[in-house]
Amino acid sequence: MAKRSRSIYLIAFLLFVGGLGYMIWSGVSQNGVYFLNVSEALAMESNTLQSARLFGTVANDSILRPDDGLGATFTLEDANNKSQTITVAYKGVVPDTFDVGSEVIIEGTFQQNKFMAKTLMTKCPSKYQKENREKNNIKNG
Amino acid sequence: MTYLADLSMTISLILAMLGAFYAIFQINKNSITNVNILEKASLAISACFIFASIVLFFAFWSYDFSIKYVHDYSDLNLPLFYRITAFWAGQAGSLLFWALSLVLCGAYYQTTNSYKSLSKETRAWYFLFYFAILAFLALLLSTYNDPFEVLNPAPNNGRGLNPLLQNPGMIFHPPLLLLGYGGFTIPACLALAQAMTYNPQNKEIAWHISTKPLILIAWLLLTAGIVLGGWWAYMELGWGGYWAWDPVENASTIPWFFGTAAIHFGFIEQYRNKAHRFHALFMALTCVSAFFATWLVRGNVVDSVHAFGSGGVGPFLFTFVVVSTLVSFFAILNMKNRGENFSGLETKEGFLLSTAVVLISISIIIMFATLWPVISKLWSENPVGLQADFYNRVILPLFTIIIALLTCCPWLSWSQGVNKGKYALVVLVSFLVAMGVFWTMFNVKDPLPLIAASISIAGIISWALYFYSVKYTINKLSPVLIHISLAVMALGVAFSGPYKVEQEVALSRGQEIKIDTFTVKLKELYEGRERTGRYRFLEAELIISKDGKEIATLQPQRRIYENFSQNAYAEASTMPSLGKEFYATFLGVDEQTRGVLRLSVHPLVNWLWIGGTIMSLAPFITIYTMRRRKENKKEQ
Repeated sequence: MAKRSRSIYLIAFLLFVGGLGYMIWSGVSQNGVYFLNVSEALAMESNTLQSARLFGTVANDSILRPDDGLGATFTLEDANNKSQTITVAYKGVVPDTFDVGSEVIIEGTFQQNKFMAKTLMTKCPSKYQKENREKNNIKNG
Repeated sequence: MTYLADLSMTISLILAMLGAFYAIFQINKNSITNVNILEKASLAISACFIFASIVLFFAFWSYDFSIKYVHDYSDLNLPLFYRITAFWAGQAGSLLFWALSLVLCGAYYQTTNSYKSLSKETRAWYFLFYFAILAFLALLLSTYNDPFEVLNPAPNNGRGLNPLLQNPGMIFHPPLLLLGYGGFTIPACLALAQAMTYNPQNKEIAWHISTKPLILIAWLLLTAGIVLGGWWAYMELGWGGYWAWDPVENASTIPWFFGTAAIHFGFIEQYRNKAHRFHALFMALTCVSAFFATWLVRGNVVDSVHAFGSGGVGPFLFTFVVVSTLVSFFAILNMKNRGENFSGLETKEGFLLSTAVVLISISIIIMFATLWPVISKLWSENPVGLQADFYNRVILPLFTIIIALLTCCPWLSWSQGVNKGKYALVVLVSFLVAMGVFWTMFNVKDPLPLIAASISIAGIISWALYFYSVKYTINKLSPVLIHISLAVMALGVAFSGPYKVEQEVALSRGQEIKIDTFTVKLKELYEGRERTGRYRFLEAELIISKDGKEIATLQPQRRIYENFSQNAYAEASTMPSLGKEFYATFLGVDEQTRGVLRLSVHPLVNWLWIGGTIMSLAPFITIYTMRRRKENKKEQ
């Protein structure tokens, strides 16, 4: 290829890589969060840890639902070590498969030892422990 | 029967390994005399996999719960259609289906004329790569992922199929991806084989010409699989979103981007006789990345919303991916560069190259970003992952660049500058007009959606004009449709992503709420049972009105399936529209018997499915025109 077009390719490529590099760098620094299980999160100093994605299991008898039906407060325990727990407050719609014992993925921030979750996702639970009873709530349907 | 099926897996493993060794032996001998045995071995392996698949299909058909896999994924209540398709509901069955699609493609390819044009040496190399992949799949199927594991005593009923899979969209999503993966394998093996045996004197038909139908079909199936996955997430899961940048979703796109890049290198090779090495390399990497994707999904590498059992295959898959990547690079380096240098950046060639580079960049970024929790452990004590915003920030601008490139491409000549400047000017003007209209009339002020949407409009006009300028030649119809549909999809993403309106509300009977331009009233709540008794449901009846006029009644449901009674599943209800689609999910009833609902408005979302459908069907036109050309040649 002619010298001129080779240098054009080079310049275009450098521009592309430079722009992309900048976008990736800013993306990683702004949208990167810690992916932690409960014991890892507890082991970190709270001032270094603000926003995070946590993995864990919903502890027995820990789910409290507010009266207006949206959101839940529950205790998240480490999948391998049940003595390690974090209290989680979540506002928003609770997924269908959310229940005691289900494995969940939550995203949010720590505020005074409590984790305020912005998103709550459940993985397919391996075993179920409690019947879902909301169907009884409807009268005269 | 299960014993025979198990045996057939073992036989295919042994045959594939012996075949691969025999191929090496032949290649080392210098003069290759006997590829006949390899061909027969290949057909025998195909027969084994077909037999095993039939056994599994039949086991599902006949409720044979003594097979653990059948027990795990079906039950006596499951309708026939879902019993058959439960074949690929689990990991072992998926792998078997992948192997099946691979051997069907392989057996078909062996019968074609282009296969017969290959030299014996190329055939031996081809079978070496092909058998290596088959041996790997057979190894997984006869060890960690045996679909024929027996339960003793046989249970009376099965566990049933996950309700989320009891949906036509979902049930075809996995096999489409797997068929796509399988389809790319044959071209990849052949590309590497011809790289190893390249000789300007031989009269072989080049791999990309002889396997073009396979490449096209694999590409369209993969495209359809990905689009269907998005549609399923949007409609069936009731997520109200079609793409969440979850590791599992990301994984399926990696082979697509590599494959699409390879196809664009292919145009340069076909029309300009350049870029042979890139073309072959990326076809090989497309095939390898299918295994990489499987490793991401099944290897328990990163935590995902999608839960799959890993079944211990992770290390195997990873090793296979690393080795086959190295083999691909080695084979390509073995091939001498035979093209001239590339023309300048301002030509069609330059734009095709740039398109391929951007596609590859997207694929590599997705790959690393998905693995970021693993990679970041190198320097960080705790893993750092990337949120969906990262992808939106990085990938969407790259997509916009791709739309811009495809908009310009028709008006560039192969070796220098602009061609048919008059049309190019029309396209430029349409871009500016679109931008003005979006800015003033639709109030789109954010730079990325504004630019992306305007370029998409220009892209649609550009390719429509191009089709007009080539006098509606049918040969050009397929690329025209594919590029227009991509621009249409980009338009859909540009609006439905940033301008979605969503609200979660609790409504008592008779209460109204306004969301975007719609007014929603909860009329009534019901509960009931589906006629065949498969599930019970709660239903909310919603009246939607706009400007004081009632325009629709929606009935989103919440279902509880017999075998999965612990969980309720949302059945979303929409008011389909080419403009703003109104979408409602029923989330439950609260203590005060109010209906809890998620209401959302998705502008232009349906253009994604329309574009995706056209894109997946358009390659058939190319296949049709290729056949017709072939027949015409024969007649002459």
